Amino acid sequence: MNTAWILLSLLIFPGGLFLLGSGLVYEWVDRKLVARFQNRIGPRWFQPLADVVKLLAKEEIIPQEVHRGLFLLLPVLALAGALTAALYVPLIGFKPSFSFPGDLIVTLYLLSMMSLCMGLAGANTVDRFSLVGATRTLTQLFSYEAPFLLALLGPAIVTGSWQISQINAQAGNSLWFIITQPIGFVVALVGLMGKLELPPFDAPEAETEIVSGALTEYSGRGLALFRIGKDVELVIGLTLVAAFYLGGLANPIEFLLKTMGLLVVMAGLQSLFARLRIDQTVGLWWRVGALLALAQLLVLILLRG
Amino acid sequence: MEKQDSNGKFIVPIGPQHPALKEPGHFEFAVEGEIVTGAAVRLGYVHRGIEKGAEARNWTQNIYLLERVCGICSHIHATAYTLGVEKLANVVAPPRAQAIRTLVAELERIHSHLLWLGVAAHEGGFDTLFMFSWRDRETVMDLLEMITGNRVHYSTNILGGVKIDLDDEKITAIRKGLDFLEERTHHYLKVINTDETFLGRTRDVGTMSRQQAEELGAVGPTARASGVPRDLRVEAPYAGYHEFPVRLITATEGDLHARFVVRMNECLDCYRVIREILDRLPGGELATRVPRRIPEGETISRVEAPRGELVYFIKSTGGDKPDRIKVRTPSLCNWGTVTSVAVGHKLADMPMLLAGIDPCFSCNDRMVRVNRPDQSQTWSWENLRQYGIEYYR
Amino acid sequence: MKIGAMLGDILRSLFKKPATELYPFVKNPAPEDLRGALQYDPSKCTGCQLCIKDCPANAIELVTVDKVNKRFVMRYYPDRCVYCAQCVQNCRFKCLAMSDEQWELATTKREAFVVHYGKDEDVEFLLEKAANAGVEEPCIQE
Repeated sequence: MNTAWILLSLLIFPGGLFLLGSGLVYEWVDRKLVARFQNRIGPRWFQPLADVVKLLAKEEIIPQEVHRGLFLLLPVLALAGALTAALYVPLIGFKPSFSFPGDLIVTLYLLSMMSLCMGLAGANTVDRFSLVGATRTLTQLFSYEAPFLLALLGPAIVTGSWQISQINAQAGNSLWFIITQPIGFVVALVGLMGKLELPPFDAPEAETEIVSGALTEYSGRGLALFRIGKDVELVIGLTLVAAFYLGGLANPIEFLLKTMGLLVVMAGLQSLFARLRIDQTVGLWWRVGALLALAQLLVLILLRG
Repeated sequence: MEKQDSNGKFIVPIGPQHPALKEPGHFEFAVEGEIVTGAAVRLGYVHRGIEKGAEARNWTQNIYLLERVCGICSHIHATAYTLGVEKLANVVAPPRAQAIRTLVAELERIHSHLLWLGVAAHEGGFDTLFMFSWRDRETVMDLLEMITGNRVHYSTNILGGVKIDLDDEKITAIRKGLDFLEERTHHYLKVINTDETFLGRTRDVGTMSRQQAEELGAVGPTARASGVPRDLRVEAPYAGYHEFPVRLITATEGDLHARFVVRMNECLDCYRVIREILDRLPGGELATRVPRRIPEGETISRVEAPRGELVYFIKSTGGDKPDRIKVRTPSLCNWGTVTSVAVGHKLADMPMLLAGIDPCFSCNDRMVRVNRPDQSQTWSWENLRQYGIEYYR
Repeated sequence: MKIGAMLGDILRSLFKKPATELYPFVKNPAPEDLRGALQYDPSKCTGCQLCIKDCPANAIELVTVDKVNKRFVMRYYPDRCVYCAQCVQNCRFKCLAMSDEQWELATTKREAFVVHYGKDEDVEFLLEKAANAGVEEPCIQE
């Protein structure tokens, strides 16, 4: 692999520019679907892009009493984490750009950086809404992270590999894991929603309570970067779940169909529920989500052994 | 912004500008973690001087001024006022006029309750219910626009009667709209009674016992959800409610869920009453003459607005303008219930608790009285102006 | 006791036309009794001024050009008007009405908010008078 190829894969495809674009497209599809579920028209196709352009054009206000460096660095870090994670997943059904045994764990950690950065960003300011939002973001991080991880470990254990590309290839050859491990699929999908703070898990940014949660003080560039970061995470998360549970991603058409199918389900779930309070979220994950995922994992290990 | 008040409490402010509030009001919640330990309300951001303005306008002009006290329950304000003035003038509006007043008032109640359902669902993060209930609310808004000529300010009342009439075509349209709304209301009732996530946000939240409700002087659906049998349409029927009685709808739980159930059941009763009015619409005149000068006297006029008991005090000195009009809106009575039941709940419940009484902020803001022992009670305009400048500096 | 009680709603609405109205492109007809802009028929007016007396917003003025020959011009301010139709109620000669067609009254020009109703020659006469600065208008009564 020469330097030019590495740069290309980092900056244009599949990292960098392509990922940003697809993130915006997926955000639009999500918003459009939720709107249609609610009998509305929804935004036009360029709306997410227009939002980002508008935010980038706006002044970035740095509030008093924050650590300036941290305030400016955190959005970049969050986006960088998400973009890096993309290098290890089979985007568009192509082979991941980089791959090594155990990259699944690295990817999951990189994906968690987003929530961590948001929590830090909220705790960095003195704004009360941000502080409450940061607390909730981090609380939620602790609740969904373990079940989400356990849910993605299911296929890994069955295939006997911790390398995303291998699991992807294996999943394509065997029966879809959604059929053999339905609980894991549900936990993974719902965990992804928790990760992205989508309704009903949007307590950390519940607008009717704490305005915009941890990001209340962010404006302009910082807010735009956080938003793009979230969109990128949406794409990566969908790719991971589709690759693991929906029989792998071998070509672009399969990728598009499977991830969009997942997005339809996710949009439906988003519009179906009232927002959970943070205590209800934690309760749901630890009392139900984690236990189910653990039970499934136990069954898998016993069956293998 | 100070994070803590003088007692070292962590205060979360909601308002005057906040996404949860559609009108300006200020609430301070002292929290420990997510638990609320204290609540305070500050109102007065939308004082418009309507009562004073009413003294400078003649009896007819005041109908339209007072209709604008509230944007959602506009008709009921005008009804309270016209009923009071008619009482002073010793005039009774003809039965057909009374029936039409009642009809519009009930349609308005449906519109108000469906609007509230959407707002409360949105505060709880249930945007789908919000979108659907507001979509269906369009039906009743269209009906009101068709029969009165406007979606919000119906301007149906004139002194001595009403200015709109119903014909067969409109009656058919209303019936058709009601059938649709009734089906949808049953559906929403099912949703709020069965949806587990929504119940998790409403059941046992903001529970107010009957005794508490009575002590705090709660009115309207807020009080009825706590089992207080208080509905002026039943207790002291006015306009057409003698002819077309309504059912008193109460619940015993007193929590947010009970308020949802009471309001939705009230909507169902509204459909029944409206159908009855349409079935037996009295014939005859639409209005009687009311003199331009209203005889001297004072009166209290009470009606049941969608949010509760609305009281008008009207005083005439025999001229063509009122001497004094005092409005006591239902939202004002219900604020105490929010601050007293808030303690011990989660911060996340606060928006729903606030929305639970269906507050109308601009309704509240009648008059600000500054009462301090070291300052004289009589204020000149200049003093008042100076005080305002100093206060907001 | 169930989760997702609105499942039926959201699935149905996915295949249904959105309820949103594409307002500026598609306009729903207004109901017949809509209270839109005020309309004035000068031929029936007797100049009794009852409409002005009860207007809660001072939105109408009647300018008498020639009282004997019943030549009146009504000056109407749509921006002040609260569309309550009390003037229509007060008029005994049915020369006032609310339009059900003119209801999109927002504009960026101030001039649109002063409307003169009357016979053409009377309006012209009045505007000419107003153009000559310093000349008083013939007996404006509010």
